[in-house]
Amino acid sequence: MRAVLVGLGAVGARSARQLLSSKSVSDLVVLARKPALVEARVAALGASGVVRLEQLRPSSFAQVLAGAGVLLLAAPGPSGDLAEAAVRASVPVVSASDDPAEVRALLALEVEARRRGVSVVAGAGMAPGLSCLLAAWAVAKLDEVTEVHVATLGTGGPACARRRHAALREPVDEWRDGAWARKVASSGRELVWFPGHSGADCYRVNRPDPLLLTGAFPSLHSVSTRAAASRRDRFTSRLPMLRPPHPEGTVGAVRVEVRGRRAGEAEVVILGAGGRAALLAGTVLATAAVRAATGRLRAGAGGLASLVSAPGELLAELSERGVSILTFEGGETTPAW
Amino acid sequence: MPSESRRSGRRGNLTLLSRALLAVGMTALVAVIVRLRGSGGTPPHRGGWRQLSVTDLEPMDQP
Repeated sequence: MRAVLVGLGAVGARSARQLLSSKSVSDLVVLARKPALVEARVAALGASGVVRLEQLRPSSFAQVLAGAGVLLLAAPGPSGDLAEAAVRASVPVVSASDDPAEVRALLALEVEARRRGVSVVAGAGMAPGLSCLLAAWAVAKLDEVTEVHVATLGTGGPACARRRHAALREPVDEWRDGAWARKVASSGRELVWFPGHSGADCYRVNRPDPLLLTGAFPSLHSVSTRAAASRRDRFTSRLPMLRPPHPEGTVGAVRVEVRGRRAGEAEVVILGAGGRAALLAGTVLATAAVRAATGRLRAGAGGLASLVSAPGELLAELSERGVSILTFEGGETTPAW
Repeated sequence: MPSESRRSGRRGNLTLLSRALLAVGMTALVAVIVRLRGSGGTPPHRGGWRQLSVTDLEPMDQP
């Protein structure tokens, strides 16, 4: 199967490595807006003859897609047109974007994707992505689910860091008591305990997790998303970034808290994962792409929680690929969300 | 004499304006400090993270 990957940044490069280690992918085409900048990364993949680097051109995009098994989107900037072209060519699409506008553009392809019988996965990174899978797995443990709260630490690469910088200042649409409520960005401080880290103060950010999770679980009463940030991060989010983000991103973590009822009693399930954020995102992106290409995801557009019928099976595969899935046990929980 | 009283009246207005600006500035400063500090809750006093094995994860998909 031939995979087409747009973008070879921190997340894209790790995704490429995961794809090349998969038995399903025999041929990988990497598309970049400036191929000269990623030549070294392509060479570092060490799979000459299997990987081909080309410039991303709208005019020749349809030719590249011909015969492809899946399109992976791991580049910053608008990619709705690329996804639409892929769906029209009956090629599944998997995107790592955590930009709500991008996710909405992908969700708008629902009707066409269903008609063509292909999957359009919106948000297949650390959050959304791994967060949606963890939530789906926890939801399956409960008889009734009422709340999902997602928190993240760290960023995958420079594009993720820039997106987080913007997400700390943009108005946040939060699902609260069964309706959308607009909240002030960087508000709602909560101390969150991440796997492998001490506590970190987290604040509301404009990310698409609530949009994707309410689409997957319409009975939810509340869904929120927060990101760890310092006072300086919040204060300077209104300004241009004062220093360039780290090219390889940072160590990160995701924590998902699901509240509901089981056997008539209130129950809280807390799941998490930690590691280099780009590695977590790249592994989720590649694993979801292989599943989309082999028809193991539902047809239509949505997050992983909507399109994956067996989240545990996919989490187990991620675990085998080195993503440690953890649960928080034996502690009291703070009902301050 | 009239010019003297006009001058002292203008000085009084300037004092009032500068005090009002100082009050607004101080209020904004306090608001920023309160907003930036806040309270984030308390850390958990017991419990911990446990890694889920592949067998822990997969049975959840069984109907």
